Amino acid sequence: METVSERVEIEIAATAAGVPLVRHALRGLLTGLEVPDDVIADIALAVTEACTNAVVHAYPSGGGTIHITASHLDGELDVAVRDHGGGMSPRMDTPGLGVGLPVIAAIARSVAIGSPDGGGTEVRMQFALRTAVG
Amino acid sequence: MTNGIDVERVNGIDVLTLRGEHDLSTATDVSRRIDLALESASGLAIDLSETTFIDSAVLRVLITAQERANEQGAGFAIAVADSSGHGVHRLLTLTGLDAKLSTQPSRAGAIAAAAS
Repeated sequence: METVSERVEIEIAATAAGVPLVRHALRGLLTGLEVPDDVIADIALAVTEACTNAVVHAYPSGGGTIHITASHLDGELDVAVRDHGGGMSPRMDTPGLGVGLPVIAAIARSVAIGSPDGGGTEVRMQFALRTAVG
Repeated sequence: MTNGIDVERVNGIDVLTLRGEHDLSTATDVSRRIDLALESASGLAIDLSETTFIDSAVLRVLITAQERANEQGAGFAIAVADSSGHGVHRLLTLTGLDAKLSTQPSRAGAIAAAAS
């Protein structure tokens, strides 16, 4: 079997305006890999929720960046969304519904949340690209 | 498709159309438009038939809008059509909120429901 690998790295300011930029970049990568549209839409939703969580929870005082890495290898996509903030602390004024992580878990083949060396939070998601997701 | 938010009044019902993609980056603007509509309209229909993507930040805005409309006795309905993006249907199904939101399968249906 031929091995195909692609890797995309994106760093955005931790602002709401950055969230669609990540989604559009991922779509570009996946469209180029000829991934089915419904699978692309699912991955776009999951990664959007992960980025939104980082924007909302990582930097309550503003500022900061979010680093996204998407790696493709043999029909799977591994996406890591990493911030360097204070973690997923609850906010009373959160603009979400608290459904972000359950949505990610329903779409991704696997999801793991970690606290990497150097601080911050990393949400790592693995997606199957060639079959129905979820 | 160009992203945008359009509002028009049809027989006393404000119809808010979300075109393209909407997420955390537009949720505040969507919320503001809904607030303005509910200040003066007798009902609100939100048309997602031309919406290609929404995330949970927008979904929260829609749920809050429905709750507020119900509290003030205004009509309310959301059009989720076949033409709505896969991501719109998917988010509603995954969260189970398709059963909680007052949805109609067409723009005309949502306007009629918001007027009743």
